[in-house]
Amino acid sequence: MLRLAVIPIALILLLAGAMVWSGGGTQQRADFSYIDRGEVSTLDPNRMSWTQDIRVGYALWEGLYTLDPVTLDAIPGCAFPIDISADKTVYTFHIRPEARWSNGKPVVASNFIFAWRRMLEEPGDYTYLLHYIKGAKEFEDAFAADEPGKPADFSKVEAIEVNPQTLRVTLLHPVAFFPDICAFPPCFPLNRESMQEYLDVPTVKKSGAIHENYKKTFTRAGALVTNGAYMLKDWQFRRRMRFEANPYYWDRANVKSKVIDKISSDDLSWSYEMFASGGVDWITDLSGDTASELFARHDPDLHVFPAFGTYFYSFNCNEKLNDGKPNPFFDVRVRQAFTLAVNKQTIVDITRLGELPSDNYIPLGAFTGYPAPHGLSMDVARAQRLLAAAGYPGGKGFPQTSLLFNNEANHAQIAQSVRNQWLENLGIDVRLEGMEIKVYRDKLHTKDYAVGRASWFGDYNDPSTFTDKYKKDSGNNDSNWLNDKYQSLCEKADVEPDAMKRLAIFAQAEKVLLDEAPILPLFTYVNAYVFRDRQVKGLPLNIRSMEMYKSIQVVR
Amino acid sequence: MGRFIAIRVLQLPLILAVIYLLTFVLVWVAPGDPFTRTDKKIDPVVIESMKKKMHAESWRSFLAHYPVQMIKGDFGASLTYDDVSVTDIIRAGLPVSVSLGLLAMVIAVYAGVCIGTLAAVSRGGLFDWFSLSVALIGISLPSFVIGSALFALFCGTLHWFPIGSWGSFSAMVLPGLALSLTPMAYIARLTRVSMIDMLSSDFIRTARAKGLSRATVIWKHGLKNAVLPVISFLGPASAATLTGSFIVEKVFNIPGLGQHFVNSVLNRDQTLILGTVMVYSIFLLTFNLIVDVAYAFVDPRIDVTAKQ
Amino acid sequence: MTVASPILAPHAVAAAPAPDTLARRLRASGRIVVGGGVLLIMLIACLATLPFTLDRSGTGALKGALYFDRQTPALQRRVPAFRVNGQVTPALWFGADTLGRSLLGRSLLGGSISLLIGFAAAAISVFLGVSVGLVAGYRGGWLDSLLMRSVDILYGLPYILLVVLFKMALEPMFGRAGLSPPVANLVVLFLAIGLVSWLTMARVIRGQVLSLRAQPFVEACKAAGLGEWRIFTRHLLPNLIGPITVYATLIIPIAILEESFLSFLGIGIQPPMPTWGSLASDGLIPALNRIHQYPHMLIVPCALLSVTLLSLNFMGDGLRDVFDPKREAAKV
Repeated sequence: MLRLAVIPIALILLLAGAMVWSGGGTQQRADFSYIDRGEVSTLDPNRMSWTQDIRVGYALWEGLYTLDPVTLDAIPGCAFPIDISADKTVYTFHIRPEARWSNGKPVVASNFIFAWRRMLEEPGDYTYLLHYIKGAKEFEDAFAADEPGKPADFSKVEAIEVNPQTLRVTLLHPVAFFPDICAFPPCFPLNRESMQEYLDVPTVKKSGAIHENYKKTFTRAGALVTNGAYMLKDWQFRRRMRFEANPYYWDRANVKSKVIDKISSDDLSWSYEMFASGGVDWITDLSGDTASELFARHDPDLHVFPAFGTYFYSFNCNEKLNDGKPNPFFDVRVRQAFTLAVNKQTIVDITRLGELPSDNYIPLGAFTGYPAPHGLSMDVARAQRLLAAAGYPGGKGFPQTSLLFNNEANHAQIAQSVRNQWLENLGIDVRLEGMEIKVYRDKLHTKDYAVGRASWFGDYNDPSTFTDKYKKDSGNNDSNWLNDKYQSLCEKADVEPDAMKRLAIFAQAEKVLLDEAPILPLFTYVNAYVFRDRQVKGLPLNIRSMEMYKSIQVVR
Repeated sequence: MGRFIAIRVLQLPLILAVIYLLTFVLVWVAPGDPFTRTDKKIDPVVIESMKKKMHAESWRSFLAHYPVQMIKGDFGASLTYDDVSVTDIIRAGLPVSVSLGLLAMVIAVYAGVCIGTLAAVSRGGLFDWFSLSVALIGISLPSFVIGSALFALFCGTLHWFPIGSWGSFSAMVLPGLALSLTPMAYIARLTRVSMIDMLSSDFIRTARAKGLSRATVIWKHGLKNAVLPVISFLGPASAATLTGSFIVEKVFNIPGLGQHFVNSVLNRDQTLILGTVMVYSIFLLTFNLIVDVAYAFVDPRIDVTAKQ
Repeated sequence: MTVASPILAPHAVAAAPAPDTLARRLRASGRIVVGGGVLLIMLIACLATLPFTLDRSGTGALKGALYFDRQTPALQRRVPAFRVNGQVTPALWFGADTLGRSLLGRSLLGGSISLLIGFAAAAISVFLGVSVGLVAGYRGGWLDSLLMRSVDILYGLPYILLVVLFKMALEPMFGRAGLSPPVANLVVLFLAIGLVSWLTMARVIRGQVLSLRAQPFVEACKAAGLGEWRIFTRHLLPNLIGPITVYATLIIPIAILEESFLSFLGIGIQPPMPTWGSLASDGLIPALNRIHQYPHMLIVPCALLSVTLLSLNFMGDGLRDVFDPKREAAKV
């Protein structure tokens, strides 16, 4: 009998031990808690590129400029005043004397120079944003080329510490959105002194240049020193991140929520149940299906608004496909025919979240004052004429073609609907090829496809964040559509100092793109936030879906 | 016996090395690049420098770098999660999965053996059919359906269990139960079959003839011998359960190791794949060794050291 | 890892009884009759309707209504989508899915594909498992050690990793070989599943062969100077039919479930082709979201799946009882 009792007791003890080992236990509820998509990938601002990372970046750091919590326009951040030269190429930043790091040390010009230099030496996804600074690109290239005897010279980079409180930056040409760049997390400052403890073996280049390496652990809670409204209190990997108000932040009087939790979740259904049970105040994403059902019922907690991204199909514009066969989509008429044959309303009837059917590449309403051109709207008769002119009357003789997409969300459903429309309207039966996302990305990048699903999200408040994708030197021109007129328009817009004229030039460029139809725009994405209006204040619905957490307040 | 264990333990690193090499080959022949993205700007220079940092520019540099590190207990940096190393990921996830897996295995063994024995005793009877149908439904439905349905029903609709992050025992019960269903069904089935075998054997008849009660014979003498096949099942089953389940951890949002087994493959996170495979293999090999040793204790007739 | 393979004890299955009693026992076993009957009904229902589910234009009363990819926009996201113009047609017996397609048509074709995957994967794993098991058990020595250690090592690799990698490596290969994508996809699916599920079979067969080899009749065959091949095919294999059948019956449900899991991960069957598993995974969120609007999208494929797998499992259990003569009198 004793033996029968021993085993269960031993097991219970074992279980209890395992619970403790796995870090059980609950903690006090934060002032504001939210669930963002997945776990944060990095807290190193230089390397940030995912949305969830960038949102946290805005909470922890503050750039020379920051974003207005409501309009997301760039406004002075930890530098004020900011002197801009008449030709808009020289920015002189006077760093606020009251700006402090979370360890109490003042924010100084060298913090920015250190972070920018580090990013140029160790490029990340957004290093190219610094190329507008005079000498930056040359420095990055020279450092990467690493020729013996020719060490890259940082003194040639025109980001100069005039005095500890003053930073002067000279640009290659006027850049209308340079304040937005400064307000973007990858360009945020770093506190070198606090990172010394995490110094790793430095890289000595052949050219003699030395690059400081830091261990990744410098971003751990307790080690990370930040200059924003919050500091990192605790980070339990894939469980929770806790932020607490930075006691030294210069604008601390306006920080509404003192403690913020970011709960980690990999499953959207779970996230929604967590919200419904009152466990979190805000979820940034919903599964398409739950969202559309809530949308249909006008659920007051669901907040749907246009997003900064477009869902489209991309045509391969190469003369030949990768297998050597001629590519029908090399012919602009075929691309136009395929584009004109799709009714976008049926597509958003599938997604059913109030997505906006769109003929445009740049999301409508994304940029104030942008004169959006007209794209190719559905016109089956014209599509059939164009197809016949291209040599495929009624779809006869059209080679077997595949439509590529990744097997996630409702891409398969959308593809099935588009395929049926092409079959009905053009008489062409394309094959659906759904695949696992990594393979799909590979195929898209190597142009190993004919038609493929694609999407693009903008990063900063300027149309070039969209138009750059189809420039000649872009690494992301998955269509391989090369157009001189488009290229010259984009280059012209780059150096145009007048904001309104610039937008008009971008509109011309987009018109060229839409008429040439390397892509078939389907709809503008929407964001679906879920939060209780009566409780959560100061959470604006902005097309760029960025939030300044310091302005958020939860009333319970 | 000691010699047998020693030989097996010495074999472990060798088998692990082969598993490592095989996984490595599979990882490098699989199409798809861990560094590509489509919806954001990509700079080939950036990707090159990242690859260089991760020693992932070619399989040679990868192979030259990682095995040495791994022996030191450092699995390298994860390619998906920038700030943490694979060792951190395992250290964060494994305890969670092991706790949950322990609970699940305890439930599975106790319930499974009981159901199996009762079914064997009432062979062909109502309970036999009923219990087996229930057990079989458990293994006749996709695990993602069972997990999601349990969650939607008991957490979402009925609110019997709290929806919460990892930490409290109450939040652990339902996922533990969900995780135990599959092994429970197999254990019940195995117990039933071998119990039926046992009940028709001579020594049970002898025991009954001696005048021992039916219950004593079944639960004491019969069961002791009937659990043998269950024990051999427990090795791989424990290894699989304790290292976490993709579905259960996803549905109940448990920060365990299970998700990494699938996600690392889908993300082509080469270092994380190798790390998780190593953890899984170590568990599996260890449990199989324990099972072989346990066999010898439960049934001294079995000579594990004998060459077949 | 989510799917534990059933490691069944080798000694649970013994040699086959004499044929005359075998037939008698098969009939007598309730499990086999019920399981086999249900399976047969499913198979016939799915296969006999293939002309309708695969025919876009269709003739007669159905007019292609059962075609698996016929989208009726009028039925798209209508709840409950059991009627069109107020009438219930055969195509809507099971309702329609969120794209307005007949769930009956999709379930029938899905059943054919699921069962095909199950049987094909089982066939592959039987072939591989039996070959390896036979060779290892019969030859013994270093070959046995080599093969069995390889099996051990493959056991150590997580299952999902192997399936995924096989699938990714093989699919482009078949694509280049000229197979059309849906066919290549299907072939790769059952190859990938079959190639990773033969391990248990190999172990079981090896154990059986080891015990058979020690028996006098094999010695006698050898002494009589019979060739190896002849001993294999005429004397060993017939004695192995029992365990092979039992394990094959048990591998089919596992293979079908494996496919469903792959579909759930988005790397299984290609849409618009259905399988029961992909139908269940497509129906998961519509059925289980907070509003519970499309429960039929989950219930229908799950019911079909579990009934079929249940009958397969019952058959397996029944067969095991039948092939094990010792159990005849097992009653206390």
